[in-house]
Amino acid sequence: MYSKKTVIANPTGLHARPASDFIAAAGKFSSKIRISRVAGDPEEDAANAKSIISLLSLGLAQGEEVEVFADGADEKQAVDDLVALIDSKFGESSAG
Amino acid sequence: MVCQGNPVSEGIAIGKVMRYEPFVPVVDNTAIAGEKIPAALSRYEEARSGAKQELEELRLRLEQEDPQKAKIIKAHMDILFDVAMEEEIRDGIAGGKSAEAAADQIFRKYARIIGRSADERIRERASDLEDVRCRLLRNCMGIPERNLAFLAEPAVVVAKDLFPSDTASMDRRKVLAIVTEVGGPTSHTAILARSYGIPALLGVKDALSLLQSGQSVIVDAVDGKLIVNPAGEEEKAYRRKAAEFRRQAEETKKYLDGDSFTKDGVKIEVELNIGSANAQEIDAIRHTNGVGLFRSEFLYLGRETLPTEEEQYKIYRRVLMQAGDAPVILRTLDIGGDKKLECLQLPKEENPFLGNRALRLCLERRDIFKTQLRAALRAGTVGNLWLMFPMVGSMDDIRKAKGVVREVQRDLDCEKIEYNREIKIGIMIEIPAIALIADLAAKEVDFASIGTNDLCQYTTAADRLNQNVAQYYQSYHPALFRLIRDTVRQFDRAGKPISVCGELGGDGLAMPVLLGFGMRRVSMGLSAVARAKRIISRLDLAQARDMADRVCQMETAGEVEAYLRDALKDIV
Repeated sequence: MYSKKTVIANPTGLHARPASDFIAAAGKFSSKIRISRVAGDPEEDAANAKSIISLLSLGLAQGEEVEVFADGADEKQAVDDLVALIDSKFGESSAG
Repeated sequence: MVCQGNPVSEGIAIGKVMRYEPFVPVVDNTAIAGEKIPAALSRYEEARSGAKQELEELRLRLEQEDPQKAKIIKAHMDILFDVAMEEEIRDGIAGGKSAEAAADQIFRKYARIIGRSADERIRERASDLEDVRCRLLRNCMGIPERNLAFLAEPAVVVAKDLFPSDTASMDRRKVLAIVTEVGGPTSHTAILARSYGIPALLGVKDALSLLQSGQSVIVDAVDGKLIVNPAGEEEKAYRRKAAEFRRQAEETKKYLDGDSFTKDGVKIEVELNIGSANAQEIDAIRHTNGVGLFRSEFLYLGRETLPTEEEQYKIYRRVLMQAGDAPVILRTLDIGGDKKLECLQLPKEENPFLGNRALRLCLERRDIFKTQLRAALRAGTVGNLWLMFPMVGSMDDIRKAKGVVREVQRDLDCEKIEYNREIKIGIMIEIPAIALIADLAAKEVDFASIGTNDLCQYTTAADRLNQNVAQYYQSYHPALFRLIRDTVRQFDRAGKPISVCGELGGDGLAMPVLLGFGMRRVSMGLSAVARAKRIISRLDLAQARDMADRVCQMETAGEVEAYLRDALKDIV
C-alpha cells in the first residue's frame, strides 16, 4: 500500500471532464486505487478511483485535500501519476 | 377537450397521438437459494452484454447524425460497466439477491446520491443512471427494446416521461411534438426539445389516461394548451396560427445576435436575466450586452445546508468569466417568509411580502449576507461585477447595506485576500417609497434597476400570487408608468445607469413607453431577447416619447393596453 496527499487545484473540481480523465488514467493500472477526502470519514468519503459513479458521488471540489491510495504491483507509479494529474489542474488554467 | 401544460419548447403541432410507454421494471426482491447464485451472476453478465449491444447500435447511428448526442450513449456505456457498481452488484448477488434485485438496488442507491449533488451538471446524471437501470433490468428479464427511433408516420409522442436515451435516439423528423405528464423547463426533455425545435408541452396531468393512440390533437406549446379531437374550424384556425408562428420564429431568430438599435439609430443595451446559471443560461449571455439580473436564490433552494462561500464563489466566477467585460448585475439573496427554505428556518409571517425579506433579512442575518458578499467580491476579480440589493425602501437601507460591504472589504484586506475594489453598488427599485425619492437614492448608489413585478404589486397593493386579486394587479396601471418615468428621469439627471429587469422589460407592448421615458437598458429572460430586439429595431424614439407621454395621461390600465395594442399592431 502506498499513498500521497494533495489538494484539488482546478476550478471545477473532480466533476464532469476532469472526473472522466481521472478514471481513464486510473484504469491503466492494475492496482486497486482509492481516493478519499482527508477531512472526511475514511469509509464514507472515499471512492474507487476507477469508477466514474463513485467519484461523482464523492463530489470533490476545488480546495479540498485528498489522499490517493493504491495497493498492488504498480502502486507507486499509480499514485504518483494520479497526484501529478490532479496537480496539473487537468489542463484548466487557475483563472479558468 | 382542452388540457393545460407547461410549454417548454415553443411551437404548434397538429397531428395524431402516439402513446409511448417505455418499459417499467417491476423487481421481485425474493431472496434466491445458494445454488442459484452462479446462474444469477451469469444472468447479470448476459443482460449487461445485451444492453451493451443495444447501446453500441444506437451509438453507431448517432455518430453519423449527431455526434453530440452520441456522447450521451458513451456515458451510458461507462455507467453500465462502472467498476464500483459492478462490484457492489456482484456482492449483492453473492449475498442471495437475484440479478434484477441487486442491480436495481445499487443503481437506485447511486441515482439517489448523485441526485442530491450540489452541482447541477452532476445532478442531471441521475436520469442517465435511471435510464441505464431500466435498460439493464429489461435485458435481465429478456424483454425486447421499445424506442422512438423508428416511427411509421409523423406523430405527437405522448408519454409519462422520456429518458435521455429516448430523446437522443428519437426520429426527430417524425416527432411532431412531445407531450409528457412530468417534467419542467430544465428537464433534459425540455432542453433537447428546444435544441431540436420540437414543440413540447410538459406536465400535462393524466395525459396517458386521457389520450388514445391515433386520436387527433393540437399541441399549442405557445399558450400551453392541448386540444383533443378539435373541430374542423378550430383545426383550420390553428393551421393558420402554426404557419404564422413559424414565420415569426424564423424572423425573430435573425435578431437574436448583435447589438440592438432603434430605427433612428440609438443603441439600447439588451441584457439577460438568469436564475440558475446552468449551461444554457451561461451560454446565452453571448447574445446580450451582459447580465442585467443574476438571481442568486437558486443557490439556497432545495438543500439542507446553506451554500458555502467557495460554492458561491465558483458559480459567480463562472458567470463573470463568460460575460467578459460586459456587466453582471448580481442581486443579493431575495427571499422571505413566502418561500420555504430547508437550509434556513424562517418564521411564518402573516404578510410575507411586507415582511422580513430580502435585504431586510440579510441585514438581520449578517452571517448569510457576509458569506455571499465575500464570495461575490472575490469572484469580482475576473469580470465586471455590479452588486445590487433587493427590497430597498429607504436611504437607511442603502447606507446599512453599503456599511456591510465595507466591513467585508476590511475583513478581506486584513486576511490579505484579493477582491475587486472597483465594483458598482446599486439597488432594485421595487418599493414605491424609494421610487419617490429616486433623486436622493441616485446620489447614494452607482446604478438602479426597476423590478416591475414587485413595484406593481406594492403600488397596486395586490399580491401577485393571489389569484383572487389578479384583476387588481395591473402592470399597465398609469401609476406604475408614472413611477417608472420619474425614476428614470432622476437617474438620468444624476448620470447613473438605470434599467428595467422585471417582466415589463421583456414586454413588447411596454417597450416604446420605457424607451420613451429615456430607458436605454432593458433586461429579460432569454426567450424574450430576440423579440425585444426586433421590436426595438422598429421603434423610433420621437414616436416612443409621444406614446409614453400619452400613456401617462391615460386613466386606466385597460385604456393603456388597448392604446398600445392598436398603436403597435404592425410592430409587435
